Amino acid sequence: MVLAAIVAGVFTCRQFNRKNADVSGLKANYEVQAADLIKEFAENDSSAMKKYLGKLVTVRGQIKKIDHDEEGYYTIVLGDSAGLSSVLCAMDTTQHVDAANLNKVSSVNVKGYFIAFEKDETGLLGSDVKLNRCIVEKQAH
Amino acid sequence: MTGIKFLIAATLLSTSLFAQDKYFTKTGKISFFSKAIIENIEAHNRSVTCVLDTKTGNVQFSVPIKGFEFEKALMQEHFNENYLESDKYPRGEFKGQIVNNSEIDYTKDGVFQGKVKGKLTIHGQTNDIESDGKITKEGNKIVIFSEFNVRLPDYKIKNEKLQNISNNIKVTVNCSLDPLKS
Repeated sequence: MVLAAIVAGVFTCRQFNRKNADVSGLKANYEVQAADLIKEFAENDSSAMKKYLGKLVTVRGQIKKIDHDEEGYYTIVLGDSAGLSSVLCAMDTTQHVDAANLNKVSSVNVKGYFIAFEKDETGLLGSDVKLNRCIVEKQAH
Repeated sequence: MTGIKFLIAATLLSTSLFAQDKYFTKTGKISFFSKAIIENIEAHNRSVTCVLDTKTGNVQFSVPIKGFEFEKALMQEHFNENYLESDKYPRGEFKGQIVNNSEIDYTKDGVFQGKVKGKLTIHGQTNDIESDGKITKEGNKIVIFSEFNVRLPDYKIKNEKLQNISNNIKVTVNCSLDPLKS
């Protein structure tokens, strides 16, 4: 009885303090090119939302831009540099150094959770697919 | 200049002038904080889209709910599944206006007090909100900062039976906007 209570207590404590799983050790639900992902949302965003929302996705694409804020958080922007639409990958906090060293790299595989599609209503911003907790899987020079 | 060339040039010029009034970000930050019985709850979202029209004072935010990151996985799961139901309501939104926009001189660097009014939609529920904020012009950037409280019952967000989080959540908006170039 006492042993059962101890086991239950340890389990509850571990569950309560559990951190988010390291994305690098998880298999992606989908692997897709950035351009194809953008096209899929442009053609039917509600169906693409149902497919990807909350799922782990590996996206391969050309680096358009690397943003970082004053706190040092990085966002890798993938897509065709001539187009307005992009895949925005908010990097995991453990990935600062990798993101900072990507400037000379032409294309990458980035893995992260799909969180949103922002449809551009103005024609000025471009429509964006957004991922978070991203890691860089592979770089091609 | 032929008629058609003149028309194209005039359109490009008007588009350019129109766009220079607008500032935006796709990586804005919104955080929230709640006092709780066992421990305080805090989450950050760095994937917020914000557009500000300095000419009219119109301002819009789009917030992907699944973009909130928590230190602990269990909190994040409860937030998405039990509180915000983010599969059903994946986006929060604010559409409003800086009511004292005419008092803000966007042509020079400085810190200005702004008053924002508008409609906030969370969890499929829309309410009028009003908040004070700080608008900072720094070179070619505009930083919007604001703090306000959101009451969970106003957005039909069910607090668990034990009420282990406060019904009042403090929301902090901190978005650095760049000029929108056409």
